[in-house]
Amino acid sequence: MAIFFKLIPHVLSWVGIVLVLLRGLSGHRSVVTAASMAGFVIGVVGAFILLGSFPGSFSFGIIKSALGVSFLLLWGVSVATIYLSTGRRAAISGGGRFVNTKLGAGVVSGLAGIVAGAVCACRLTGTGGNALAVVLLALAAGALAYALVFAARAVDRLLPASFTVSMSGMLAAVVALLLFSSSSILRLDLFSPLSMKVMKGVHDFVHQFMESILIPDHLFVRPVVWKYIGFLFGKEVGFWGGMVIWFTPAVLIAMAIHFERLPSVAHIRQGAQRRRLLAAAIRVQRFRLVIPVLSLVIFSAAAYQSSFPSVEYWDPKPLPVSASQAGEIVIPKKGDVNLEDGKLHKYLFKQGDSEVRFFVLMTPAGKLTVDLDACAICKPDGYGQAEGSVICYYCKTLIPLETVGRVGGCNPVPVPFTEKADTVVVDGMTLLNSWSATVKATARVKEGGK
Amino acid sequence: MKRLLLAMVKAGSSWTITPLVIGLFFLIYIGIAFFTDETLIALMAFTRKSIILAALLALIPLNSAFRILRETGTYLTIRRVLSGKKADVMPELFDDAVELPASPSITELESRLAAEGYRTRRSENTLAAWRGISAFPVRALFLAGTFCLFTGILVSVTTRTSQRRMVIEGEPLPTPEGTGGTVDRIALANSSGSILSRTLTMEVAPSGSGYGKSVFGLYPPSLYGGFFVYPRYLGIALHFSFFAPDMPSGYETHCTLNTYPPGKEDNAIIPDSPYRIIFSIQEPDAGSDRYTSYMTGNITLRFKLLKGKEILFTGSAPGGGKFVRDGYRLALPDIRRLVVTDFIRDYGVLFIWWSALLFGAAICIWLPIRVFFPRREMVFRYEPDATRACSRAEGGSRKHAGVFHEALDLVDARKTEG
Amino acid sequence: MATAIIETHGLTRNYGDICALKPLDLQVPEGEWLSVMGHSGSGKSTLMNLVGGLDRPSNGALRVGGEDLLMLSEDGLARFRREFVGIIFQQHHLVPYLTAVENVMLAQYFHSVPDEAEARSALERVGLGHRLRNRPGELSGGEQQRVCIARAIINSPKLLLGDEPTGNLDHKSTVMVMELLKELRAEERFTIIMVTHNQEVAAWGDRTIYLDDGVLVREERLKVEG
Repeated sequence: MAIFFKLIPHVLSWVGIVLVLLRGLSGHRSVVTAASMAGFVIGVVGAFILLGSFPGSFSFGIIKSALGVSFLLLWGVSVATIYLSTGRRAAISGGGRFVNTKLGAGVVSGLAGIVAGAVCACRLTGTGGNALAVVLLALAAGALAYALVFAARAVDRLLPASFTVSMSGMLAAVVALLLFSSSSILRLDLFSPLSMKVMKGVHDFVHQFMESILIPDHLFVRPVVWKYIGFLFGKEVGFWGGMVIWFTPAVLIAMAIHFERLPSVAHIRQGAQRRRLLAAAIRVQRFRLVIPVLSLVIFSAAAYQSSFPSVEYWDPKPLPVSASQAGEIVIPKKGDVNLEDGKLHKYLFKQGDSEVRFFVLMTPAGKLTVDLDACAICKPDGYGQAEGSVICYYCKTLIPLETVGRVGGCNPVPVPFTEKADTVVVDGMTLLNSWSATVKATARVKEGGK
Repeated sequence: MKRLLLAMVKAGSSWTITPLVIGLFFLIYIGIAFFTDETLIALMAFTRKSIILAALLALIPLNSAFRILRETGTYLTIRRVLSGKKADVMPELFDDAVELPASPSITELESRLAAEGYRTRRSENTLAAWRGISAFPVRALFLAGTFCLFTGILVSVTTRTSQRRMVIEGEPLPTPEGTGGTVDRIALANSSGSILSRTLTMEVAPSGSGYGKSVFGLYPPSLYGGFFVYPRYLGIALHFSFFAPDMPSGYETHCTLNTYPPGKEDNAIIPDSPYRIIFSIQEPDAGSDRYTSYMTGNITLRFKLLKGKEILFTGSAPGGGKFVRDGYRLALPDIRRLVVTDFIRDYGVLFIWWSALLFGAAICIWLPIRVFFPRREMVFRYEPDATRACSRAEGGSRKHAGVFHEALDLVDARKTEG
Repeated sequence: MATAIIETHGLTRNYGDICALKPLDLQVPEGEWLSVMGHSGSGKSTLMNLVGGLDRPSNGALRVGGEDLLMLSEDGLARFRREFVGIIFQQHHLVPYLTAVENVMLAQYFHSVPDEAEARSALERVGLGHRLRNRPGELSGGEQQRVCIARAIINSPKLLLGDEPTGNLDHKSTVMVMELLKELRAEERFTIIMVTHNQEVAAWGDRTIYLDDGVLVREERLKVEG
């Protein structure tokens, strides 16, 4: 039952995708129906097999890459669309012409189905990988796809004929719905990693730009002016920059439709007839704006879902520990807490005015690791655990459990420790020095100095 | 030959080139981002080393140049059509083109268009009407700005050299090609400007290699020997001598310390000894400017003497002062102002500055033209029983189309009169 | 013989117990100027409202411009009125705070899209090129009625209905308006149905029918066809 409720956003996204495809490719309804259903079943079964064969982040990486490629494709199409629409002569791109053929309609519907099915399957991880399960899953997916496609066709028949969808608008809606569907799954979410990369990109770009055109250093610049420049080095620029990148394709497509030239009526000599044609063209143009505008709403929902995920993180309250006379912290492997259960176990060590948060974790490879509850880049907000990863609360980067213990990026800072038969021993001074150096470095980064 | 040239201009001015190249560089950027956090720097390094990437980047300014040529050609052609100097009205250059089997009453048409606010010009067999200001010059400015920007980026990425030097008051200017004149004075002062809160000037005496007296400011940075002089950080050049009980011969040296803003520490390691001295500038009194010591030149240094990890003692002394305790002696005979300066050879910067000016001018001119005086044109080329009419608008196109249609109806009405 | 633009068979309209129009058989050829006369309450305006799609008959058949008006939905009737019919009322019904050209553009707006140049041309055709920016209150009765004519014909209707259009005008203005309608009909070739109680005005038409208590009692052909 819980799985059923979890699938609702994915199911609704899929119905929306099929509806948009039926509207946009109205001349090839049967091809769209068949290809999308087949694609969905292939996507579900294929992803299930992939996740079973390659547990961990690799399989999610493939599906996430497919989503990323679709978003990049949308960007390319939106730029081409705005260029074409502002040209002197209305033109349809070769890509648009291809999509409107039987083959093109089949390819687009099939691919959309595969990605949507794969995203749905990611919700069903952990159901086992035997052949019978695969067959049953295929049948269930097929039945679900059949029901949903026909629901979409029923809705499609209710819509007025003048409500048409442009090729670019169709792509915007399909990508928006796929990203909305995937944004509720942490390991497939694109918006949060996009924001982080944008933040780094903007930092780099502004820094390089100021170096390139020889802008004086901040010590010479008025604090109030530097405050505005400093915004470009902060975390918010990643969020807002990510929003710009997220929404721009749909905005460009809507603008392209809005700025499209109306058909020429100069050859018609009766005024009322000219105006009637123009009014009809404007009405069609307005209907065609509906889907890109709706896509903006869906993109917003995806960004919201990404920023405020409904995932419950495993984040235990840190247990206080103390050091022995020799300055060692000894933690039993078993007892009240089982260090080898694959979950995050957090501890708090205090000495004088200083305190350190750290955790112990058994990675999927069976190795224990001791790390600070902070990384070398971000403000030390700590980590939570969910869906095979630990997540940095500050930047929302997901770190696969397999890589916890390695140095670099937003990984938690590893701490040297000694593993004995039934205890884990950590040096208190090492912990304190490591924490103090890390927090000092990240505090400097936060201030935005060059 | 002319056809070949025209074909080249047509291909080179294609609208697809710039977005494709920019898109390709973004894809490369995204690819690099999976491997390193220093993505932009890595991309710049690749572009610098790779002829293919540099050539691809060069396509953008080339494309802008070709577009300027092509659009200028189109603009001049339209002007010739409107003035009646061209036999063919060239409908492909216009938004609308219509042929009517009637000849207009030129006077009536002219007065009708004039009543709508259009200026008219009659020439042999042609009546042209227009209003507003053409945005073509602005378009040319914009394309020139694009040309300059991407040329600047290309030149900068592929040829920029930067060398960091310590410019010390009283010492010769340490240029990458040797030494320049003596740095007579380094002055930091408060400024009342809206952007810069401080000014920094470096006065350099005439050099033996032919350079006259030079004064370097902050922005725009000055050129010296083909290099931009780009001040970065403030520091001090310190001459100190140190004696310890187990180092009776002592140690004397000149060193540079990056100790601004006050509170920032830099250290000097005494070679072949366990000693290390950590220096910092004494914080000024609360409420006063943190850079007062640099401005006045009255610098008092704080120091910590470490032997291994142990702090032996701390203290402070001004320039010319000394500190003696327990057999240890630290003298600071001379403290001079220093500016950590980058000498940059980068001709791309000039192009980038020009592009900023061009873009600024383009937007300032374009906005009022587009809002208040959008260009609208129409031309009627008439024979005894036929008229070819064309129309184009750079803005306000619906209103202009209405006037054009009414003009055509007027011409067409003469068909029945005839 | 021109095709009939209006055909009615047994057309009836009742308002409760009152029979405003008794079963009427009428054919109006395309391009004809038909005057409808009768005293108050004779059913003239009722007939005009039915033919113009402003009202639905109680009984009978009604075809206008090839469309069976009884089979049209409300949206269909609205489209029919928009594209096929122009109406001139005795009371003008011009929007008082809009200029003459804006009043004409309003009719364009409800039809399709406004076009100021076309509206201006239409007002010039009715002799008001110099009064474009005046509001109805600044125009004489005749000028206001000419604005109404421009408004009525701007969407190129096939059928022009006039409900006592000269009722409030003096003789000179009445003649001016009638001359204008005659000119426009020759250019645009629309069919006119003019309801009037004025014999002089009725004489401008090709044919006059007389209604009395909802019944067609007499018909006079005033111009010879062919």
